[in-house]
Amino acid sequence: MIPPFLHINGLRKTYGPVVATEHVELSIKEGEFMTFLGPSGSGKSTTLYILAGFQDPDTGDIRLRGRSILGVPSHKRNIGMVFQRYTLFPHLSVGENVAFPLRVRRLPQAEITRKVRRALELVRLGGFEERKPASLSGGQQQRVALARALVYDPPVLLMDEPLSALDKKLREEIQYEIRRIHRETGVTILYVTHDQEEALRLSDRIAIFNAGRIEQVGTGAELYTSPATHFVADFIGDSSFLDGTIAAVEGRCADLRLGDGTLARRIPLHAPGRPGQRAELMLRPERIELSPDPGPDGASLPVLVQDVTFLGNITDVVALTAWNAPVTVRLGFMHPLSGRLTRGDRLWIRWAAETVHAFPRD
Amino acid sequence: MLLDFGKLGILKWVLITLCILVALFLILPILFIVALSFGDSRWLIFPPPGWTLDWYRDLFADPRWFEAAWTSARIALSVTVLSVVLGLLASIALVRGRFRGRELLRAIFLMPMILPVVILAVALYILFLRLGLDGSFAGFVIAHLVIALPFSIIAITNALEGFDPAIEQAAILCGASPWEARWRVTFPAISHGLFAAAIFSFLASWDEVVLAIFMASPMLQTLPVKVYTTLRQDLTPVIAAASTLLVGLTLVLMILANRLGRRRSA
Amino acid sequence: MASRVTTESPVHAASGGVGPAAGHAGSATVPALRRRPSGLALALPALVLLLAFFALPVVLFLARSVTEPQPGFQNYAALFGGPTYLRILLNTFIVGGVVTAVTALLAFPVAWALAIMPPRWSALLFGIIVLSMWTNLLARTYAWMVLLQQTGVINRMLQALGIIDEPLRLVNNLVGVTIGMVYIMLPFMILPLTGVIRKIDPMILQAASLCGATRGQAFRRILLPLAAPGLAAGGLMVFVMSLGYFVTPALLGGTSNMMMGQLVAQQVQSLTNWGLGAAAAFVLLAVTLLLYAMQIRLLGRPEGMR
Repeated sequence: MIPPFLHINGLRKTYGPVVATEHVELSIKEGEFMTFLGPSGSGKSTTLYILAGFQDPDTGDIRLRGRSILGVPSHKRNIGMVFQRYTLFPHLSVGENVAFPLRVRRLPQAEITRKVRRALELVRLGGFEERKPASLSGGQQQRVALARALVYDPPVLLMDEPLSALDKKLREEIQYEIRRIHRETGVTILYVTHDQEEALRLSDRIAIFNAGRIEQVGTGAELYTSPATHFVADFIGDSSFLDGTIAAVEGRCADLRLGDGTLARRIPLHAPGRPGQRAELMLRPERIELSPDPGPDGASLPVLVQDVTFLGNITDVVALTAWNAPVTVRLGFMHPLSGRLTRGDRLWIRWAAETVHAFPRD
Repeated sequence: MLLDFGKLGILKWVLITLCILVALFLILPILFIVALSFGDSRWLIFPPPGWTLDWYRDLFADPRWFEAAWTSARIALSVTVLSVVLGLLASIALVRGRFRGRELLRAIFLMPMILPVVILAVALYILFLRLGLDGSFAGFVIAHLVIALPFSIIAITNALEGFDPAIEQAAILCGASPWEARWRVTFPAISHGLFAAAIFSFLASWDEVVLAIFMASPMLQTLPVKVYTTLRQDLTPVIAAASTLLVGLTLVLMILANRLGRRRSA
Repeated sequence: MASRVTTESPVHAASGGVGPAAGHAGSATVPALRRRPSGLALALPALVLLLAFFALPVVLFLARSVTEPQPGFQNYAALFGGPTYLRILLNTFIVGGVVTAVTALLAFPVAWALAIMPPRWSALLFGIIVLSMWTNLLARTYAWMVLLQQTGVINRMLQALGIIDEPLRLVNNLVGVTIGMVYIMLPFMILPLTGVIRKIDPMILQAASLCGATRGQAFRRILLPLAAPGLAAGGLMVFVMSLGYFVTPALLGGTSNMMMGQLVAQQVQSLTNWGLGAAAAFVLLAVTLLLYAMQIRLLGRPEGMR
């Protein structure tokens, strides 16, 4: 069997009593754009630093093309990296910054000149060779850093929240550039971010990190439509959760009894559950319907409108169930109820069984 | 990796060894004098054959040592007060003033730090001979004030630059007069800078020897002059005793400065 | 300048130097802010003191180099004409150079370690450095006079270890002066250099490592160039201070190996040859100012002089 291009196997890293990562298991295909997404302290950066060789794991292994890289020191790993902070060498010009990896590899000058020019053109900074890093904007500095990380054709490029110091507009501009560069070079990218929108925009696949573990790996659409855990459901897209109890199990679906006694029928279960067990019903605000009339039995719930927020193209409505649990519903601009709702309106929320999920609780 | 102490490997131990050696180089001579001051060898044999307090007794028995110390203290305290007051006024001008030539003024204020002290000493010696200030208390204070002032200005300017003038403006908007606002709001906020200025000014005068050698007369000499002239004759252990007391004073000042620094950060 | 009444209000600073005549809303509502003097007056006492007791005496003294004993440059001719004074000039520069080089070599690894070691250790090391720096200069010089003398601890130790048979002459010559000055100058080099190294982002070194640089390459191409401004500033300060030093050479050096500072003092105080003393002082001052000007030109102004 051909080994996976990059395989992270059972990684575990602790700092004293604090577990930074645990059971990190992941295979990455050549040329893939893989994003590590999670809140700060979830272990995504630690995993990246272990890949870069700045930290050593307690147990586990990382194999690139079947060979372990853990014993290889950082400077021999031949991995590219763009950092969160600006890490251009302040005393060197842009051209010398990009040339640095080639100089320490003792390449001939002619080849260095050629490769530096090509790398700077790739990030659309051709002609900036003589400038000093301090004279560049933040976005330009990160593009030079990208050129420096790509100039020696590393098999893997690591990016540790490279856009977090930039403002929103510039961030989107450079996200687009990164996609183009990924397309043009075909380099395998491991990208760390805590911004779900950035992850969805850039990645082929996303690994969701939480409390040192990977919760789920999949494409953005997979994570959105079938989240494996409550955490993933909460992190990718918005959701409301309603507490309930499993009344009956039928194959991979269950009936849930909600707080006011309403029975929600045939809800897909995300883990094995048994009758009597507590479970949560997950509702996506944009996938549920708000209506003056109740829907078919077992797929609707009466609510009281609590708060209406107009957000331009959409309107967010927070409604309370009979037992005072909040549910958010998102209405499109063209929705018949849009602009006609006020606090205190009594309505029904309705859903199709395949758009909601149930997460049994331990 | 070169700036991550835990990742230096064997280099870490090389650096630690060098640090220990330099630390020993810096601290051992000081400990050595302290030990000698309690040793009973007039010829400063080390380790001393026995221990004694004779040198301290000799030191305190000789009124000239006490007089020199008292002169030094009076001069240093006068210099401290003048240096902090003049330094504070000058710093306000430097940090808040809006006039042309501010940068030039700053450079002028720092010049005494750049000029070799011996040149100033000789120049003042000649001027004071003519003015009749040589060997006078005022002469000492003026000479020491010139070299203490830059330290005071640097310390207070740094503190003032870290203080947002908008806070003072707020006090004025609350109804305080400009000087009242400074007295009640700005000065307390930069008190750490004023204390640093005071300590540096005191030490600059108290430890000063070159200007003092040229200024001193048989009637008026400071402690460093007394130590210097004694040293030129012989290396008596009485100097070790005097030096030990000076080290003790330094420690007290350091602890004081540290306390103040800590209270500020707390 | 004093007649041009401006305010110190940050409102005006923010509005890009608009004068009070512009009738800015901020100053209109706060009349108290308008009556402030320009600030120059506050600096006057210090300025007068420095002009009268620093600038004036130094200029008057230096002028004597071309007026005494008679007008002309004979003092400078004497200074550079004979081997006696040239020897002193040379001594001064050799000692200054050696002290600077040794101090830099010792200070760099210490500053490096100090910048990155755990705070508990660095606090201890800082304490030792500051204690040594603040301890009375004469007390420290005295310690070295005793340590380095013929029957001193260092000679005895070297003899006991069998490294030497006869005691070395470590004092009353330039060896003693160099040791004593390195001791005094070390803190002045370590402290600013530590500040410079602390400001270097460790991630830059990590980036260099990932780019493929070995430790040696990262040190030579990244860490050393980034620490160079600190080394240059500290080195210059130490060199300039060494050139003009008086007490340590006077006590640890001999009269046969004088340095410039001693020459100035001796000519004025003992020989009352004010003209020659002034000429020597002028050379010292000129070299000092030249070096500082070079530093400002090459590295920009050092901190604290900004």
